[in-house]
Amino acid sequence: MTAEPTAPQNDPAAAVLKRAHALTADYGTAPVKAWKEKNQGGLAIGHMPIYTPRVLLEAIGVLPVAIYGAGDKDIIRGDSYFQSYICHIPRSTIELGLTGMLDSLDGMIFPAICDVIRNLSGMWQMLFPKKWAAYLDLPQNFRPEVGGRFYKLELKRMARELHERGAKALSDEGLRAAIKDENLRRVALDKLAALRSDASWRVPASEAYLVTRAGGAIRAREHAALVEEYVAAANKRSGQPKDNVRVVLVGSFCEQPPFGLIKSLERAGCDIISDDLQLGIDYMEGAIDEKGDPLDALVDAFLHKGKATASRYIGEGRKGAALLDQVKRAKADGVIFAAASFCDPALLDQPMLETACEGAGIPFTSFKYAENTGQFQVIREQAGAFSDAVRLWESAA
Amino acid sequence: MTMTNDAPWVYSAGIDIGAGAVKVVITKSRGGEQGEIVTRVCERIRRRNVYELAERVFDDACKSAGLKPDKLVYVASTGDGEAAEKFATGHFYSMTTHARGALFLDNDARAVLDIGALHARAIKIDDRSKVLNHRMTSQCASGTGQFVENIARYLGVPLEDVGGLSLKATAPEQVSGICAVLAETDVINMVSRGVSTQDILKGIHQSIAGRLGKLLRAIKAEHTVFVSGGMALDEGMITALREALATDRGVPLKVVANADSIFAGALGAALLGAYRRHQLDRRGGAAQTNSGGTHERAA
Repeated sequence: MTAEPTAPQNDPAAAVLKRAHALTADYGTAPVKAWKEKNQGGLAIGHMPIYTPRVLLEAIGVLPVAIYGAGDKDIIRGDSYFQSYICHIPRSTIELGLTGMLDSLDGMIFPAICDVIRNLSGMWQMLFPKKWAAYLDLPQNFRPEVGGRFYKLELKRMARELHERGAKALSDEGLRAAIKDENLRRVALDKLAALRSDASWRVPASEAYLVTRAGGAIRAREHAALVEEYVAAANKRSGQPKDNVRVVLVGSFCEQPPFGLIKSLERAGCDIISDDLQLGIDYMEGAIDEKGDPLDALVDAFLHKGKATASRYIGEGRKGAALLDQVKRAKADGVIFAAASFCDPALLDQPMLETACEGAGIPFTSFKYAENTGQFQVIREQAGAFSDAVRLWESAA
Repeated sequence: MTMTNDAPWVYSAGIDIGAGAVKVVITKSRGGEQGEIVTRVCERIRRRNVYELAERVFDDACKSAGLKPDKLVYVASTGDGEAAEKFATGHFYSMTTHARGALFLDNDARAVLDIGALHARAIKIDDRSKVLNHRMTSQCASGTGQFVENIARYLGVPLEDVGGLSLKATAPEQVSGICAVLAETDVINMVSRGVSTQDILKGIHQSIAGRLGKLLRAIKAEHTVFVSGGMALDEGMITALREALATDRGVPLKVVANADSIFAGALGAALLGAYRRHQLDRRGGAAQTNSGGTHERAA
């Protein structure tokens, strides 16, 4: 990671931000080693940044670990596995694997994001045959008797395979406890989102991002406490509201933008009120049902409470509607489409979403980045021009 | 932006944090128009802590204007505004503020050439100061103020004398217009060959003017070009630019500068801040800003 947010010493959030930063060190695997020392024989399973059933993993005593690529690390070996027209995160993930940075993990889950990640899953299985690796084929049919049934079988399969490797057996009791913890995290993340929306000058998006990302390799209950602590500390900050434009950031759900880019957008006068970053942790809208059959509740949450994103099928015309709804809920002035270069799902969705924005008179601007982008001047200029145009001319032109 | 006659007279401040200097302007205006500059302060950064300097220059400007900061309806930062984040109400992008400042200083301006310490930028604007097109120098520093400052230092010439000496040149020597490093090598060779300081400086100005002229042509600039930024105070630079544009076979352009050119960014920021405050007040969205300034009716 580059250019992590830093807080002055008299900042009430300085201590929690320092801890959050430590949790994201070493590509998110720093806390894994600590957890494994405490939980001898426990399994830690990595997953790509989009939706993964972390609840299921926690329920069987496994530590889920979000892998966000290698940021600005030099890629030497990873480049030989992918063509130049492929996005950056698969090559950097391979690089992490080949250079031993992910050795503390006992396996990897590759949820269905796009064909490239499917391909990465196959390569991983060949490169690391002794490690467990699963391609999680997420259903695109959201009828419970079709996609729901399929997804339930997938979850059971994963739980069974991990049990064979030393994880606890899947039980209703374990699953209920994990759902409860996940709901605590959901509540904390909702509080964070509310504070960003109501008092964005107290919660820079770059910090909200860091605090959310810090949950990538700790259990949900622990993460919920961290987020709650940050929200409480940020609430104590003084400062004054800024006359910035409120924006929704769309398209950064898999390969994550560098911190510098998020900060550049903020410094250019754009308050990121809502985004689709880190959907591995922040995928559900609303709580998972805590009554009834817990596995059914987990399946139901995926089917009916998943955020609208490019790797999730959404019927003709409705995808744009979801974005417009997101803009409305965020009381946003405009949309920034920020997609990773060569990200097929995001870039194929973008024209549909732009059309929806045009139809609704919502200003937008778009650019591409890579996780290792180091120069933000052009993006900052574009975002600055966008912010000024929206505020002064009430258009994006 | 639309002019509103119902706007009250208000004070607002603009802080332009450039690569070489911090500039602060306080204006009294009606919704960012029909106004006047109350005070202007410029201080070179000279390797000092820019955060502390920005705060001090802002305080100095308030004192000079006889105003307490809470009387300002909007404090707008521009340039590298991070240093003013603590006390700014909002930030405007430097292209927008230079455009606004240029139009305020010369109502005929339809293009702005902002020549700062580390970059130069040509901006095409309309009669409301809306940016229509722009081009910027890329990586190389050869079209910028820092380059001229370096050359002046090599030659042992005070920066304020550079323009006057350049105007006295009789046989300017050509230097590289593409690369500052190559141009500096050219200058060393010229000094060895005994070329006069005046001719070297004129050559430097011509080199920069050629580069900036291309930027102006690329944006299809028309009518009047207002030069902003620190280099606008360099008469030699302005003359070289006029000469370059007169001989490059493009449409005729009138090049103008103003004693307040260096303050164009800060001035534009102050005016846009006042406009923005009026806009928010009209919408009932004053909670968006919290600078606490008061309106003064009918000055």
